[in-house]
Amino acid sequence: MQEDNIAIEVKDLKKEFKVSSSGKGILGKLQALFHRRHKVITAVDAINFKIKRGEFVGYVGENGAGKSTTIKMLTGILVPTSGSAEVNGIVPYKNRKKNAAKIGVVFGQRTQLWWDLPVCESFDLLRVIFRVSRFDFNRQMEKLEKALGLKPLLEMPVRKLSLGQRMRCDLAASLIHNPPVLFLDEPTIGLDVLAKENIRNFLSEINREEGTTIILTTHDMNDIEQLCKRLIILEEGRIMFDGETEFLKQKFVHEKVIEVEFHEVGCVIQGIPGVTVVREQGCKKWLTLDNDNSGIGEVIGTIASQYKIKDISVKEPSVESIIRNIYDNRIRLSTP
Amino acid sequence: MEAIKIYLTLFATSIKARMEYKASFLFYIFAILSFYIGQIGLLFVLLNRFHQIKGWTMGEMVFLYSLHAFAYGFTNLIFSQLINFDKMVVDGEFDRVLVRPLSPLGQVMFSKFEVSTAAHLIIGSTALYFGSHLAGIVWTLNKALLFPVIVGGGVLITGGIRLMVTAVAFWTLRNQSLVHTVIFSSKEFINYPVNIYNNGMQFFLTFIFPIAFINFYPAHFFLDRSGEGLLHPALEMGTPIAGIIVFTISIFTWRVGVNHYQSTGS
Repeated sequence: MQEDNIAIEVKDLKKEFKVSSSGKGILGKLQALFHRRHKVITAVDAINFKIKRGEFVGYVGENGAGKSTTIKMLTGILVPTSGSAEVNGIVPYKNRKKNAAKIGVVFGQRTQLWWDLPVCESFDLLRVIFRVSRFDFNRQMEKLEKALGLKPLLEMPVRKLSLGQRMRCDLAASLIHNPPVLFLDEPTIGLDVLAKENIRNFLSEINREEGTTIILTTHDMNDIEQLCKRLIILEEGRIMFDGETEFLKQKFVHEKVIEVEFHEVGCVIQGIPGVTVVREQGCKKWLTLDNDNSGIGEVIGTIASQYKIKDISVKEPSVESIIRNIYDNRIRLSTP
Repeated sequence: MEAIKIYLTLFATSIKARMEYKASFLFYIFAILSFYIGQIGLLFVLLNRFHQIKGWTMGEMVFLYSLHAFAYGFTNLIFSQLINFDKMVVDGEFDRVLVRPLSPLGQVMFSKFEVSTAAHLIIGSTALYFGSHLAGIVWTLNKALLFPVIVGGGVLITGGIRLMVTAVAFWTLRNQSLVHTVIFSSKEFINYPVNIYNNGMQFFLTFIFPIAFINFYPAHFFLDRSGEGLLHPALEMGTPIAGIIVFTISIFTWRVGVNHYQSTGS
């Protein structure tokens, strides 16, 4: 039995895909007709984690790291190759209907709404499908309308909505039955800054006020910094970090990034011990210093003595740069 | 039942969605009707040219045709969305079906409105009227009661076959060629009495791909024909059983298929 305060529990969860590879050119394709060569790709490789009720978890990784595959197993879309998962105490891929009633799902790339119908009719249909009483529906809709500014959109057919408008409607649609667990697969993809901000405010509000457990996959590290207390980082199907976002920042906060803008392009920084050039763009260079920061003044001094500097600043690393470093294998983490 | 109410709502929605494009909707009805007017015309041409095939009079053959048209029409009404189902699999549209608290198959079946059904049923009724008349069928109470049962069995057979072919898409992604061969082309086999084929073919259409149960076998009962020429006389009444068997297998295939669904990348 599962403890009551656990919303999601994943044990040795694994998903393999068989990909048939056909050869190049017409001849290769013809060969493939008779001789199917299969390649097995492990999208999610025996991962383990537990998520408590009310947590807001960021689930990140590069494309193909296995984020969406995990979400799809937890929502009952995919059946795992091995291992197990429970959401609200239900095995999603064995008990799809029961699971669906207790989760909300938003896929940023795909709408849950009826393309040709006005938004309000989609909502009403979902009300029927999720067996929500009219009373509960009206109460919930009132809240959602206000929080997401849906009023002017309700009569519009979904196909005429902008991406940001559609995403607001999709979010509302996923919450009609007030699910205890919400899965968001790239909900801010392709949105402008203002739309992103609106959605973030809304998500943090329902997490705080309704205690909704939220799992969010995203490529936007601002989403993570603003919303997710906890972060799970995936790489090639394995979890390489699982812990507090703050911890990740703390751990690397002592590593400063120096942003230097030179007067001319092509300045070479060499031979300063402990200094690595992380990024270059035009006249700008970003440097990191090894753990010991005592030499920061010296480093700046050395550079200044070699080249003419237009501007220089010392920054704390953002979560994004930390994660980029993790991807690039510059930082090795052991999973706690 | 609450589930039925939900499905009916889904169904009504699909009609509404379709009506959003009014011109296309009307044109579609027009196209379907002209197609069937052509079909009825063909039937009458055949009627006048031939008089008998393998001991079957033209009236009897028209009756055969009507049984098939009814089964096919109702199947189209209930299972029409299955024809293009592979698109849902390729596009990953099936994802959203799986995250709703309703049976996936039910959702797929009720997500589309198929007008052509009405046309099938019109041609079925026309054929039934002329067939009964020409073949001189005596409609007893027994026959009248059994007619819907036989049509129901036929729907289970055609629907089951369609469902199995559909489920193949979970493995192969695209299945249009299979759909066209198995669902559309195979229909032609039973526009004629099955005893015009050799024994091997009859066996195939009875036990392997049992579409002979849709019209050929039950027609013996309605037409008061002796079942002696058949592979076995009891086959006359086999339609409901064949329907249940085919449909059970197809549901099983579908379930296995759903668990094999791969979705799409990201």
